[in-house]
Amino acid sequence: MPGIGPKTASRLTFYLLRSSREQVQALADAIGQLHNKVVTCSMCFNIAETSPCAICGDAQRDGSLICVVEEPLDVLAIERTRAYDGLYHVLHGAISPLEGVGPEDLKIAELMQRLRRHPAEEVILATNPNLEGESTAMYVSQQLAPLGVRVTRLAHGLPMGADLEYADEVTLTRALEGRREM
Amino acid sequence: MTLRVGPRPLPLSPNIHAHKKIMHLTHLSLTNFRNYARLDLDFSNSITLLQGDNAQGKTNLLEAVYYLATANSPRAHTHRELINWLANEDQMPFARLEAKVEGTDALREVNIVLLKTADRLQKEIKINGVKRRVRDLIGQLKAVLFMPEDIDLIAGSPEARRRYLDTAICQIDRRYYQSLQEYSRVLTQRNSLLRRLREHPADPHQLDFWDQRLVEEGSRLIAGRLETVMELDRLLQDIHPRLTGGEERLRLLYRSRLPLEGKDRPEVYNQLPLDVSSPAGAMIGTDALSSLDVKAIFQQQLKVRQKEEIERGMTLMGPHRDDLRFLVGGVDMCTYGSRGQQRTIAISLKLAEMELIRSQTGEEPILLLDDVMSELDEERRQCLMDAINKEQQVIITATRLDCFAPSFLDQATVWAIRGGRIENLSP
Ligand SMILES: [Zn+2]
Repeated sequence: MPGIGPKTASRLTFYLLRSSREQVQALADAIGQLHNKVVTCSMCFNIAETSPCAICGDAQRDGSLICVVEEPLDVLAIERTRAYDGLYHVLHGAISPLEGVGPEDLKIAELMQRLRRHPAEEVILATNPNLEGESTAMYVSQQLAPLGVRVTRLAHGLPMGADLEYADEVTLTRALEGRREM
Repeated sequence: MTLRVGPRPLPLSPNIHAHKKIMHLTHLSLTNFRNYARLDLDFSNSITLLQGDNAQGKTNLLEAVYYLATANSPRAHTHRELINWLANEDQMPFARLEAKVEGTDALREVNIVLLKTADRLQKEIKINGVKRRVRDLIGQLKAVLFMPEDIDLIAGSPEARRRYLDTAICQIDRRYYQSLQEYSRVLTQRNSLLRRLREHPADPHQLDFWDQRLVEEGSRLIAGRLETVMELDRLLQDIHPRLTGGEERLRLLYRSRLPLEGKDRPEVYNQLPLDVSSPAGAMIGTDALSSLDVKAIFQQQLKVRQKEEIERGMTLMGPHRDDLRFLVGGVDMCTYGSRGQQRTIAISLKLAEMELIRSQTGEEPILLLDDVMSELDEERRQCLMDAINKEQQVIITATRLDCFAPSFLDQATVWAIRGGRIENLSP
């Protein structure tokens, strides 16, 4: 499991062994329910409890603005800034030929379809500022060109090679506010 | 469409220096490095002479100093063996290199830990106690290493020559290292995509991004190499005749897969100029080529040869395919030179590199001489000695002391190395 090394794993195991039978059963049930309760939003492809998700279903949010990110965690990072009130689109990865990830493996066709059905005014490409993220942004913007939608990219300020997920809120807010036309 | 932060910084090594900076390595500690389980050694500010039989660890010691300067081993493909084989039994095999430096506040202490993980060798670098990246270390401490294996630079594979040239440029231009790293990442991705397109034909526009990045970093590398090769070539006009009794004139040729002449002659890399009277023919046009010129040629060639690259599933041109050749009288010494000629060319090249560092950075590199004296005749030995600056720090290894003049030995601190242990022989 990501983030859990052998030491942490054994600590967790010992903790569970000391817990009561009921407690362990409750945890086991919760894990068993995980896939039943969690769905992929049919609009934005974020991981959520409902479809459409709470963000897509929120009438207060600005539907003319779509922010394209690589992973669900990036949505959380941008939400934390409270500086953005548009919608999202989660690609579930970035183009990386080395790892065998091509455009057809990402939710790019779904984005095109979504935009044809519900035209937006602006698409913000918020993929990571590394080679793979840049390559994805360039590919998506090429695909979007015929639609005539305004395409922007996060501004300078995010360190090259860094992950969006780990950017602090101030930096991320500035990058959003300073976004530029591609 | 890049997301770079601000403009790129200027190169950190301007050509003009009011004060010459002289750095000295004062102390070296090694733990589990090659055959040294543990070593502590003080260096003299001028000459340190290490005497020992073969296979006692003399070369490893110079390699350690070189590693602290370049974060790279001069011996290719043996990086994993940097860690002492006995330490490999440990749960977390590691080697540690530590140096104390005098002469600049920017660098008082360097500490490199090499950790062996399942799939690679991990480097942890500290400068003055603060964790840093490789690119922060490279070029801080400068060193030029002479070793018997240098002959492979001339006689060996193009890969060895590219690697040599790249390491040399990294010491004088830190930006070059960044381009080198980025280029290799882009190249790997682009080759994967070319293979993918060969197996599953798809929209070749997917290449656009990788082409753009390849050209950007690749032209920077080629332009940097051309500039350095030009400068080395100029310095060699003075150095090489001295080492050959005025008999040989050595010219360098940067042989690129790209038609850098600017004319439409992609076959030029197969030809060697035979006209000695205009050795510049080897480098026609290249002297005036900026990274922008290279960029235009590179870009155009990628377009022209896209279909071929997809069919072959690999990137067919760029700095990773180029070569450096050595010509005497128009004859390619890499192929046709005698062992003696090749050995002398290697020494000339290293002397030129030393001059290059001096002229480009205003600093005196630490000179590392691994057992080269015994292979040289009296004349060449003297030539090498003459090239040493009095203020320069020199670390020499030798099997015997009798090839050194007594006056030279008087200035030197002499240590004996036996089986990874060291004792002082100086009075
Ligand atoms: Zn949604």
